[in-house]
Formats: sequence, structure tokens, C-alpha cells
Amino acid sequence: MALRNIREIGDEILTKKCREVKEMTPRLRELIADMLDTMYDAEGVGLAAPQVGVLRQIVVIDVGEGPIILINPKIVEQDGEQEGNEGCLSVPGKAGVVVRPNHVVVEGLDENMQPVRIEGEELLARALCHELDHLQGVMYTAKVKGDLFDTAVEEEEETEEDQ
Amino acid sequence: MTGTVNLRELVLGILMEVTESEAYSHIALGEALDKYQYLPKRDRAFVSRVTEGTLENLIQIDYIIECFSKVPIHNMKPLIRNLLRMSIYQLKYMNSVPDRAVVNEAVRLAQKRGFYNLKGFVNGVLRAAARGMDEIAYPLPEDDPVEYLSISYSMPQWILRKWLEQFSFEQVEKVCASFRSELPVTVRLRTDRVSKEEIIASLREEGCEVAQHPYLDYAVRISGYNYILALTAFREGWIYVQDVSSMLVSEVAAPNWGDYCIDMCAAPGGKSIHLADKLKGSGYVEARDISEEKVELMQENIERLGVINMVAALRDATVFEKESFHKADIVLCDVPCSGLGVIGKKQDIRYRMTPTRQEELIRIQRRILSVAQNYVKPGGVLIYSTCTIGADENQMNLKYFLENFPFRLESIDPYLPEQLHTRTSAGGYLQLLPGIHETDGFFLARLKRNDE
Repeated sequence: MALRNIREIGDEILTKKCREVKEMTPRLRELIADMLDTMYDAEGVGLAAPQVGVLRQIVVIDVGEGPIILINPKIVEQDGEQEGNEGCLSVPGKAGVVVRPNHVVVEGLDENMQPVRIEGEELLARALCHELDHLQGVMYTAKVKGDLFDTAVEEEEETEEDQ
Repeated sequence: MTGTVNLRELVLGILMEVTESEAYSHIALGEALDKYQYLPKRDRAFVSRVTEGTLENLIQIDYIIECFSKVPIHNMKPLIRNLLRMSIYQLKYMNSVPDRAVVNEAVRLAQKRGFYNLKGFVNGVLRAAARGMDEIAYPLPEDDPVEYLSISYSMPQWILRKWLEQFSFEQVEKVCASFRSELPVTVRLRTDRVSKEEIIASLREEGCEVAQHPYLDYAVRISGYNYILALTAFREGWIYVQDVSSMLVSEVAAPNWGDYCIDMCAAPGGKSIHLADKLKGSGYVEARDISEEKVELMQENIERLGVINMVAALRDATVFEKESFHKADIVLCDVPCSGLGVIGKKQDIRYRMTPTRQEELIRIQRRILSVAQNYVKPGGVLIYSTCTIGADENQMNLKYFLENFPFRLESIDPYLPEQLHTRTSAGGYLQLLPGIHETDGFFLARLKRNDE
């Protein structure tokens, strides 16, 4: 259990392509666990390995339906279109409008190197596209329509849930 | 990727604040929308619509929930209760959202907010409601008019009973129905600065639809804008957002050149500014209110709008100030009230008000009236107004006032558009009813102090 440093825009590592994972190792297992911790800590919905400085094809996603871990993921189907705000943990305090497919199917491996197929609509489709782009060294800022804008401070978001 | 804003969670947060912590809905919603100003217009509209719609239909929605839940609404966890409410609203009133999406999102939110064990309950109630929505048996007007009006229009029964003593069933139903229809914003064109044509041209140029209001030439309804504060006409101070009923106060006050006016409870200052505008820079309007915050707000308005013959002052309207004795030509007495006439704009008022709170308000209203009358010169005028409907805070207060102070009612017909002339307006007062008149619910009376 550890939090890793999130690399921010300007860091060259975010522009590089990631290597495939050939076999699961204890170090990679630890990386995946740390990536989940780091994502939840930052209240993100997705995180890719290069964002914590590791050039391997690993992403973690949780859009509120439980964690998804994907290794060597590829988009195999996509259709529809959605336009909406998107932000990135590596570009803090900013967001921008990005057009994404509304529905995607992704194939890859889970943390046990077993094949998985994930189908996502709307937010999950957006998160899958966004994180998979990271593995190719692509940031959403390259795809944004119009300008980036400042997002509101969201520190109060979660405090009201205590019963 | 960062978490995007979950619009339904945003709505749920606002509903929790309003229904459980007694926050004012317009403030809670306004703060949320301000905070997420970057959200696209469509998302902002969704948040407003679901929040306002849920509050507007709360009593009916609770009735529907109880048709499908074995657990009474008030025994539920607050978060679950409000989650069900906003979901029922979407199921019943928003055809654009598929039922499946409403149910799934609600279940997901319940889980996310730590109610994993209640997922099944939420799912069960909402599925049953989605299936059975069209077969619900609602009360009928012929069986029980109060129950019928209460469930159909989500109005508390005690308010309806009072209104039905004073108005016909048809009138009460029209008033209730009006609270549900969306009203365009009304603005006063400050035509003493810029011509009416120029202001309207500027509004239209920025995408507003502008429609003439039937009662006053300088009042128009605007719609179609995104953010009113961004309009040139607003920033330049050419328009002031105000309901026509409020504008009628200054019409009925009818100030003469050089008059000294006191507005007892003035914030945010709309009526005072209108009076000052009517005085064309002459005379003096003293806009009083009780809190520093409100006075500062008025001061800002005065400066932004460039009003020179008006001043904001920190004063408690219930405390007599010797130096104002018999000084004013006009005193505006727009007292704090139950606000039942503006439910259409502030949906939660109806749930917040209770008979006990209303009695407290009546005591305050009378205290303010008894202080305010001191400030009116012999021959001067006091305008009494409220934004509520019903005799308790209106006619009964007039009766109290006339029995205790040397004033008489004076016809307000000379100052009103012809459509509003009635038996009572000739007698000196007018109850405006939304849905029947083209204004908010409002009451105003013109009281003249006898010459000594």
C-alpha cells in the first residue's frame, strides 16, 4: 500500500509509448495496487502506469462500479459519439471538452494475465479511451475542443455524505 | 482521468441540504451552479430541472413512493429518501431519461454513498414505480378537494384550507397550477438612462427573447440567455430583475419631485432603486435593512447602478428612531412574510412555513407597521406590501393598522393599469394572484396619514 507521485504535464514520460507486459511479477502486482491507491486518493476515475512514471501497458479505472484492471488493453470496437468535459490527474485544476465514442469494447488481460473483455458506455467509455491514450503517449489536451478551463475547487464534494 | 461531476450526485447533495438542513433551495442550487459554472448548459439545466422539479412535487412524489414502499417515507434514511424522490421525479416527469438509466444510476449512487445493503430496496421501489406509475390512484376533487389539491400540486394542507376559506376552489387551483409553470424572468428597463429601444436591441443582440409585459410599459420578460450576469444590459445597469408586482409598489407610491422616502425593509433594494429612478435624482430614498450583509449588498447595487439619490442604512425596522418622526413623504413597508405568493420561484417556501411561524411573522409585521407609521408626515403615504397570499398577513393587518393609527386607505386605481382595477383596488388595496394575474402573488395597499 503506497501512494506514488503523479507525473504532471510537461514531464516527458507522459509523451512516450508504453511496452507490453509479458508476465506478471510481484513488482507489477505492487505497482497495480499502488496505482489503485493513488487513483482513489486523488479521487480520480482512472490512472495509467506512465502517470506514475512506469512505461508499461497497465491502466486502472473505477467509475463508481468497482475497480477495473487492464493489461495490454486494445480497443476492438467503438461506435457512437459523446461530447463532454474531461480532466486528467496529470493536468490538475483543468478540464476541457473532448469528443469520444459513446460505446467501446476493450480486450486485454486482467491482473492474473487472463483475457478480459470490457464493454463501456458514456463515462466508462470515456475513461477507457482516455487511459488507453496515455499508453500511447497521448494526452487529452491534444484532443480538446476549444480551450482548457479551470475547474472549481471540489474539496467539499465528499464531506456531506457522513450520516 | 479525473472524476467528472456526477450530476445526480450534485442534485442529491442539494436536496439533502434543502430537505434535511433547511437550506434555501435557490441558494443551495445557486451555489452549486456557481461552483460548476464550467458545466455545459445542458448539464446545468439538468441539475436545475431535477432539483427544482423534485422540490416542486415533493408531496406528490412522497405519495407515489409510499404506494410502492413498505417503509414509510419518514422512516427511511435521509439520503435514500432523497435519492428515491429525485428518481421518482425523473421517472414521472422526464421522458427524455430512460427508466432503466434512472434506476441504475440510483442504485449506483446508493452504493457509492455507502448504502450497499439498501441497493436492493432502491432497485425494488424504483422498478415497481416505473412499472406502476400510470396505475396510481390519486385523490379526486369531488371526494376531498383539499387532499386532491395537496397531492396534485404538492401543497401543504393547512395552506390550502386557509385559502379555500377566502377564495373559490377554481381560484386556488389556478394559483397552485401557476407555481408549476415556468415563468420567464421579468426585468425593469431603466429607461431614464437609455431608451427602451436601445436596451431591447442590446438584449436581442445577445440572444435574449424579449416580450412586452401587459401591465407596465417599462417591464419586459426575457428568456433564452445563458447567464444573466453576463448580459451587457445587466452589467451596464440598464435592466433590473424585478417582478412586476414589486414595480407596482413604486407606481402606487407615486413619488413627487423632491420627496423624502424611507424603505423600512429594503434589501436587495429593488423597490428603493425604482423609487429613486422615479424621483429622477431629486429627493432622497433611505433604504434600510437589518443586517450588515444586506446593507452592503444594497450599497453595491447603488454603486453599480449609479443611483445618486439613495442611501443604504443599517436599521432595525422594529425599533423606533426619533429623528425620523413625521419626516417622510413616503414610507415603504414591504414586510418579511410567509412568501406564499412566490412559491413558483422558491419552491421550498411551502414546506418551510408552518402556522406557528406565520403567527410569529404576523407579530413582526404589526410591530414594523406600528414603528413605520410614525415616520409618515401628516398627509404622507405608507405603502404596505407582502409577497404572500391570504388574509392573515394582509387584510387582517390592514384592519389592525386602521384601528390603531390615524390613516385611511386611498384608491390605487389611478396608478394601476386598467386590467387590475377591482372593487378592492378602488378601496385602496389589491391581492395579486399568480395564475390569475400576470405577476407573483403579492399584496399592496396605499395608506394616507390624516392631516393633523
